[in-house]
Amino acid sequence: MTPPRLPFSRQPLRHVQDRLATGLITAGGIGVLLAILAISVFLIWETLPLLAIGDTFSLAKLSPLAWGTLKAALAAMLFATPIALGAAMYSALFMSARLRSRLKPTLELMEAVPGVVIGFIAGLLLAPWVERHLASTLMMIIWLPLSAALAGYLWYRTAASVRQRLPLSWAGLWFVPWLAGMAVLAMWLAPIIEQHWLGGDLRRLLDQRYGLDYATRNALIVGIAMGFAVIPSIYSLAEDALADVPPTLMEGAQALGASRWQALWKVALPTAGPGVFSAVMIGAGRAVGETMIVLMASGNTALFSASPFEGLRSLSASIAIELPEASPGGMTYHLLILAALALFIFTFMVNTLAEIVRQHLRRRYQRLGSTL
Amino acid sequence: MHWQRAGFSNVGFSKIRLSKTGSSGLWPWLCAACVALSLLMLVSLLTLLAIRGLGHFWPASLEEVTLNSGDIVIGQPVRETALPNGAGTERLYFTGNQEVTGNNWQWIAIDEISQQSEPADLIRVARTPWGDFIGRLVAVESGELRLTQHAAWAFIHEALTLPVSQRPPGILLLATADGRTLRQPLASVTHFQSPNAMSWGQKTIAWGQRIWQFLSEGPRAANTGGGVWPAIFGTVLMVILMSVIVTPFGVLAAIYLNEIAHQNRLTRLVRISVRNLAGVPSIVYGVFGLGVFVYGIGGSIDSWFFSDKLPSPTFGTGGLLWASLTLALLTLPVVIVATEEGLARIPDAQREGAVALGATRLEMLTRVVLPMATPAMLTGVILAVARAAGEVAPLMLVGVAKLAPQMPVDGEFPYLHLERKFMHLGYHLFDTAFHGEDVQAAIPLVFATALLLVLIVLLLNLTAIFLRHYLRRQRGNEC
Repeated sequence: MTPPRLPFSRQPLRHVQDRLATGLITAGGIGVLLAILAISVFLIWETLPLLAIGDTFSLAKLSPLAWGTLKAALAAMLFATPIALGAAMYSALFMSARLRSRLKPTLELMEAVPGVVIGFIAGLLLAPWVERHLASTLMMIIWLPLSAALAGYLWYRTAASVRQRLPLSWAGLWFVPWLAGMAVLAMWLAPIIEQHWLGGDLRRLLDQRYGLDYATRNALIVGIAMGFAVIPSIYSLAEDALADVPPTLMEGAQALGASRWQALWKVALPTAGPGVFSAVMIGAGRAVGETMIVLMASGNTALFSASPFEGLRSLSASIAIELPEASPGGMTYHLLILAALALFIFTFMVNTLAEIVRQHLRRRYQRLGSTL
Repeated sequence: MHWQRAGFSNVGFSKIRLSKTGSSGLWPWLCAACVALSLLMLVSLLTLLAIRGLGHFWPASLEEVTLNSGDIVIGQPVRETALPNGAGTERLYFTGNQEVTGNNWQWIAIDEISQQSEPADLIRVARTPWGDFIGRLVAVESGELRLTQHAAWAFIHEALTLPVSQRPPGILLLATADGRTLRQPLASVTHFQSPNAMSWGQKTIAWGQRIWQFLSEGPRAANTGGGVWPAIFGTVLMVILMSVIVTPFGVLAAIYLNEIAHQNRLTRLVRISVRNLAGVPSIVYGVFGLGVFVYGIGGSIDSWFFSDKLPSPTFGTGGLLWASLTLALLTLPVVIVATEEGLARIPDAQREGAVALGATRLEMLTRVVLPMATPAMLTGVILAVARAAGEVAPLMLVGVAKLAPQMPVDGEFPYLHLERKFMHLGYHLFDTAFHGEDVQAAIPLVFATALLLVLIVLLLNLTAIFLRHYLRRQRGNEC
């Protein structure tokens, strides 16, 4: 904000100082903003020589990398979106307020875990483990949601005293041991199932019947690891959008006889839809640009393959590997900068879209809050 | 009155009916499971890091194993896996003695073991050239003196407390499991331990000492031993330089955007794009840093001031300065956004009051607005530092080194060498885990490094959260 024009004063030094400082701040501020914007200028400038060469063959080198990026992002989003949105819906509308005030910052701390640590765990521990226990992993992916539903079913069947002891509003916490137990159960059951119905070795079966190769570091691992990294950002934004739905709307729906889930599904989600959408978009932007996790967990093999059990190589990982060795001004150098430009444009567009959608949503909430 | 009661009972009836049939259904339970699953993943990740990272420093007991074939193996049991086709299990032993056997590791099938014991006289020696030795101590020779048994142990423990240059000349006579003897100069020994003979108290002390060594020493034996002090130092120095650069510029830009610029469509646009730059992948900033700072500015500096050293580059290659600048650019949006939020929260009445009392804009800013926005700025800087400490990808392009020969700060003028490459915790982790020679031996240290990195970053984030909380509470009291 600008202060109103000052009355004439007899202390010119203070005013000179003020002018000078204002000028300095303006120059500094504009300079910083220009420096930030210079990134896009630099990237475009350095890719211009490619246009002059006009060599479409070398451009084709980038396409498996682009494919790898999309595949990795897709795998991560497939893993992260349901979990993050489910968690957001639960914590915005079902969780007890006291638990929520503790749990939300905890889940947001997940975002702070550095990518290099996640990548290390995924590449050196998770990948060999999954290779040895592929059946257990797949079984866990199917069994854990089912076991949650089973827990819900059992809960409706138990006595009221138990239900009061273990309410739905605290389920986010007391489900943790239940899920851990179910994961152990799945790990124990999977080899038996594999032995009896799948002929002893799932990987050989996949290879023989469907011709699927299995690479140790593959898209499945990348999906799980990068999903872990993306969950908190989607969760946090989607939860904000859902929790900010004017409570009058939900109360109105429930007063008309809707159950809590119906109110959520029919009222809160459509209202907060744009916010949830922008949360998913921002998550996708993060998944596309993430470097260390893909670099460490993907095997870095540039393949055109849709199989979740084969390796991939992404644009960002290629930049990290090849750019330090590329001679400045060479073909590879410009190509890699083109890759960086593609990443920049994609994430910038996605984020801008998400930001615009979110601002619209904020205005809509203000309108709804004032009329109701 | 009558219909009211009827209405009440109606509501009650429908409520009972709903919960009986469970019309909310099982969906909420699935959603609850999502929260629980995320928590479970986070907790198991942290537990794994803590156990594997800290457990490595615990003096593990050594086993002496006699095989059916009569061979004797001495080593530390690491883990067991099942053999294919249900042929029992095998156990991995860390046997050390790389220069004798050519290998640090040995797999032994459980069925082949005929006898297994933990004798108290087994020792583990950490040495500089070859990694760990595991076996027995025969004697110590120091000049004419030849010591055995307790006298030898006392001599070694006393000698090891001294720095290398002041140690008495001495040679350790060591025996391996298969009876071969080794002569180990005392000067090259860094650590001497007999874990089987130690009590819990002694083990705890040794554990603390080894954690301290990990934090305070440099890496040795191809990153399989020693510590990460240069990497900690490099990370901290880089982050400090970065915050020195990013704080004034970020605050300046935020003040300009919020207090000086006219609020119109253009400022809104700029604000959105600054916010979006926080979401641009870090590797893109790395590319920018390499192209502009290293090749562009660095190359020019070289050709103007260091042309006598060309073609070997001085500033024209990755270094501390360029890394800090790149990360400063990367974290600039974080600082700008946080500061702007703080500025926007200050009620206009405060500014108007200051101006009404005759303050110029500069005085209003420095005496009223900035002091009130300090916690927000601090939060922004801490978040920026947390992000920078965990970021590795851009550093790979602009100046991190797997093993920096010289520290970036030393006694030589100008003391702080901005052009030198430096070590970074995150990159050290990546490099040791994926490009090391003996990854198996390095993994425990990688876990410890990962734990350290996660702890630093989480601590910084928690500080930011508490600061923000404090800020909100303070504002709540004021408004």
